[in-house]
Amino acid sequence: MGEFSRPASSKQINSLRLLAVLFFAISCVFAFIATVVEDVFFLRLATEAMIFGGLALSVDLLLGITGLLPLGQALFFGFGAYAAALILKNWTVSIWLVLLACMLSSALVGLVAGLIAIRSKGVYFALISFGLAQVVSKIVFNTVELGASDGIIGVPNAQILPGLSSGQPTVFFLFALMFIALVYSLLNYLMKTPYGRQLIAIKANEHRVAFLGFNTWRFKLSAFVLAASIAGTSGALYPMLRGFVSPELMFFQVSGNAIINVIVGGTGTLIGPLYGSALLTGLRSVVGSFTPHHQLVIGVLFMIVVILFPRGIIGYLAPMLDRRCQKGQGTVQQEARGG
Amino acid sequence: MRQTILSASVIAAMLFCAGVQAQSDPIKIGVVTPLSGTYAGIGQQVKWGLDLATKEINASGGIAGRKVELIYEDEEANPAVAVQKAEKLLQVSKVDFLTGTVNSGSTLAVGQVAERNNRLASTTVSFADSITADKCSPNMFRVNARAGMQSAALAEWLAKAKPNANVYYLGPDYEMGRSTVAAFKAAAEAKGAKTAGEVFAPLDNKDYSPYFGQIRGARPNVIYTSVAGNDTVRLMTQMAEFGLNRNLQVLGASGTVTSQNLAAIGKAADGFVTGVGYSTTIDNPINKKFVADFEAAYKAQPDLYGADSYGLMYFYKAAVEKAKSTDTDKVREAMRGLQWDTPQGTKTMRAGDHQAMQDMYAVQVNDGKFVIVGKVDADAAIGPDTCTKF
Repeated sequence: MGEFSRPASSKQINSLRLLAVLFFAISCVFAFIATVVEDVFFLRLATEAMIFGGLALSVDLLLGITGLLPLGQALFFGFGAYAAALILKNWTVSIWLVLLACMLSSALVGLVAGLIAIRSKGVYFALISFGLAQVVSKIVFNTVELGASDGIIGVPNAQILPGLSSGQPTVFFLFALMFIALVYSLLNYLMKTPYGRQLIAIKANEHRVAFLGFNTWRFKLSAFVLAASIAGTSGALYPMLRGFVSPELMFFQVSGNAIINVIVGGTGTLIGPLYGSALLTGLRSVVGSFTPHHQLVIGVLFMIVVILFPRGIIGYLAPMLDRRCQKGQGTVQQEARGG
Repeated sequence: MRQTILSASVIAAMLFCAGVQAQSDPIKIGVVTPLSGTYAGIGQQVKWGLDLATKEINASGGIAGRKVELIYEDEEANPAVAVQKAEKLLQVSKVDFLTGTVNSGSTLAVGQVAERNNRLASTTVSFADSITADKCSPNMFRVNARAGMQSAALAEWLAKAKPNANVYYLGPDYEMGRSTVAAFKAAAEAKGAKTAGEVFAPLDNKDYSPYFGQIRGARPNVIYTSVAGNDTVRLMTQMAEFGLNRNLQVLGASGTVTSQNLAAIGKAADGFVTGVGYSTTIDNPINKKFVADFEAAYKAQPDLYGADSYGLMYFYKAAVEKAKSTDTDKVREAMRGLQWDTPQGTKTMRAGDHQAMQDMYAVQVNDGKFVIVGKVDADAAIGPDTCTKF
């Protein structure tokens, strides 16, 4: 099943690209309108959605591409957030240095965690990644030097360029958007390389990949490290936006929400998780203002999507869009691909 | 001619209405509080307290002639959610004032949002000392008693009731549990109590009997504990089963025995003493009326969170009427040093660190009820001002 065995999926990539362009175009239009009407709240909420979109992308790399279910991805997100908060408070406010440091250090943490977690498969991997995040979040929760249960407040704004800082809503939204576009393009590009195809092959049938003479462990570990680095760098943006970090950022709720964002958006589509993140971050904020039972509403919505669109919203829309295009363009493209 | 007079009077009437409209725009207060999850019970008391006071204030003409409107947002006791909701209230709903946060992480984070948006905020629940000490903010006010004041009240009572106390400390093994024990230990030792020993049991501990041997071996005449919730139920019933609490005074943090777990502990809780900022039995006319109205409206007794939240509305009312404005700087100036009446007696907002000063009480469980057994004056309980930020 799945994309691996079906070369025609190159078709689907086309409509996915269209949806990706649409996503970034809508984001830019939104930023323009929000700036014109001098909105602050929704711009900053959208920035938060982008940041959690980065986390969702890292989950999709593992869940949708490589076939590993990470129940503790918040560990790296939280690590990046804490690292960024400490660097911003104590050493430098340059966003570039902070992001570089967080990218490298969370990759390192990902390597250590990966060496522990990647040894196991399936549900055991999921549980070990969950356990690692729980252990680390409890340690942070009880470490006075890291602010314990209160976390760290008073994180200054990061400087992007002289005169441009993360405190300016439009500037920082565009920065986060750029960051996400970069991560998305990188992952999208990777999927077209032999490396990406190896990951997809591992998801389809890990044993067969091993029989073909490839070391699946190494591919899985590298994907895990890459995902950790993406999650950590996304997390680093959080304290720049909100000015604080707290142990809750490492809790299961964050990991769980990321997985829900991915599944609702469309597992394995890369752009789906970004749609999912934008949609659900908005919904959580809006529904919560009307009823204290918002968790219930989100839960029911999640079930509806899983039952009606098992491949997620984008996973449902993309093939439909393809069929439309096919009708229009005929078989020319298909022949071209085939040749 | 008649036409012109008519239109002139219509215009005049419209102008008048517009003027009145601007004058009677409601004062909006944003409440970011946990309405779902573990802390929903506390959030409920906060809501009841605020609602009751707001109803009274609106019925008697509002604040400076303007009605008060409360806007609630659920923060799930999660600072990341609280911050987002606080920004929404400030930037979309344009509230004049923020309150409601329960856990100290949310309070600190929301205080920072208020500071960065140049608005004022207050907590009625969080008792972590840091909020009005090393992490104080010029935009954050605390109307409830902080942990240090609770410890001070209890230590003061202990020094009088048991002059040569030999105290054994038993806490849950996590940061809050340890810091609560450390704070009371310092306060008790300053009043002359000796320390027999200390031990920390894991959170959610099922069996406390392994610790009882150590405790008995140390021969204390007082035990202080900072466990909470169901841990207290197990600790106290097991102590009673082993006969450990015979000839022993049990003390605890304010959250150790509450109206929520008191029924489950039953008779084993009798004699337990703690230091708090509120009891329904405080004898003054405001409290009597408050308790009666609260019970009539919500069919439940107020606890300290309900009482402090109720008092907050009168604090804000007094400050705005003194400042004759809702402008941040003017209201902040008015709040500093302000005295106002609450069910807990007259409170004073200390200007140096924005911590309210109030009389503190030692209360003892007697037959399933909290009875006041000691009172410590506000000046003795408050402790030094260590805020250096403003």
